[in-house]
Amino acid sequence: MRKLLLLLLLAAIPAFAKEVLPFIDNDYAKALAQAKKRNIPIFVDAWALW
Amino acid sequence: MRAFVLTDSSLARHAGQFVWLAVDIDDAANSAFLVKFPVTGTPTLMVIDPRTETVALRYVGSASVPQLEQLFRDGADLVRGKQLSVADEALNRADRLQNANQTAEAIKACEEAISAAPKNWTRFGRAAETLIASLRHSRNYEGCASRAVELYPRVAGTASGAGVADRGLSCALRLADEQKSRADLTAALTKAVREEAENPKNGLIDGDRAALYLSLIGERRRARDEAGMRSLREELAALLEQRAAAAQTPAQRASYDFYRARVYRDLGQAEKSIPMLEQTERDFPTDYVPPLWLSRAYSAMHKYDEALAASDRALARVSGGARTMVLDLRSDLYTARGDKAMAAQTLRDAIAFSESLPPGQHDQPLIDSLKKKLEKM
Repeated sequence: MRKLLLLLLLAAIPAFAKEVLPFIDNDYAKALAQAKKRNIPIFVDAWALW
Repeated sequence: MRAFVLTDSSLARHAGQFVWLAVDIDDAANSAFLVKFPVTGTPTLMVIDPRTETVALRYVGSASVPQLEQLFRDGADLVRGKQLSVADEALNRADRLQNANQTAEAIKACEEAISAAPKNWTRFGRAAETLIASLRHSRNYEGCASRAVELYPRVAGTASGAGVADRGLSCALRLADEQKSRADLTAALTKAVREEAENPKNGLIDGDRAALYLSLIGERRRARDEAGMRSLREELAALLEQRAAAAQTPAQRASYDFYRARVYRDLGQAEKSIPMLEQTERDFPTDYVPPLWLSRAYSAMHKYDEALAASDRALARVSGGARTMVLDLRSDLYTARGDKAMAAQTLRDAIAFSESLPPGQHDQPLIDSLKKKLEKM
């Protein structure tokens, strides 16, 4: 457990790195609606601050 | 990955290819998404077909720019229904099975993909990484390490090769001392990890390169070689300082802080990490991670009042599943200070909070481990 937490902490990176891809934040319904309308797939980055 | 890869301007040409969705797994708003698409590690990258709301492709772990572009190509092909090879079909099946948490079946599908792989198959590296990760997830540590040794020569010199070697070594180190194969597997995989750690051409992002050094340090720890551990830590600290000095943005520089904080703490030099962590807290004042690491650094220096003050700031900023982790580490802080009552109360708070999390973020194994820890207090 303790080791796991340490490893998780080691993955920490500040959340707001400037991105060049237009990510929608935390809104699957919005992404799904857009994807259906444009007929293109959704690319998901599931992340955690730690 | 978010500091270096997703900021790479060469990716802009892919912007119209997908709808891009970032999912913070600690945000309660994503609970339903996480029930539908379980995430077992971060980052998890997925391509979802919006017509069927199914996962066409899934990849766990950070990716370099070339790896990411390969995932874009593969994901788009899969959703378009491009004619698939036997190997492609098997790897896709492995993705779907892994998404359904059917690890044993996913392992079989990965092996089918590898057996059927055409020459120069672009997805071989990902198939190998997925197989090793799945074997480790299923706790088949000998199988994981053995297959990593067998597959490594076919992926050496690439980011996938580093992933195969690193995960394989972590499996070998979990084998019992009396297990006959342990020494040979560990030696072979340590050599492979060392090769990848020192290979500047394998496309690894620095965080993953640092993780390779931590694995090598873990191997020396298992061998009870204090001098070897110290030597590797000093090598890693020098590498991280060099890379951090060349960072172009605060986010890039900060991405090294946590590795540096860890390595300085382990070298008994926690004070060296205080200025960088304070700088990062100033740069990212709503982020809970810098004060959390400050609390750990101060704790290592036995400065418990400063450690608790930093932990207070982290607690004020953290939400979701990560709050459990912050409370758990705060409990450790009280233990180090000799305050058993507060340590136990804080752990009870961590358990209660974790139990209150919604489906998709509820982590029963974590809750069980915290309860065991509380019982031992």
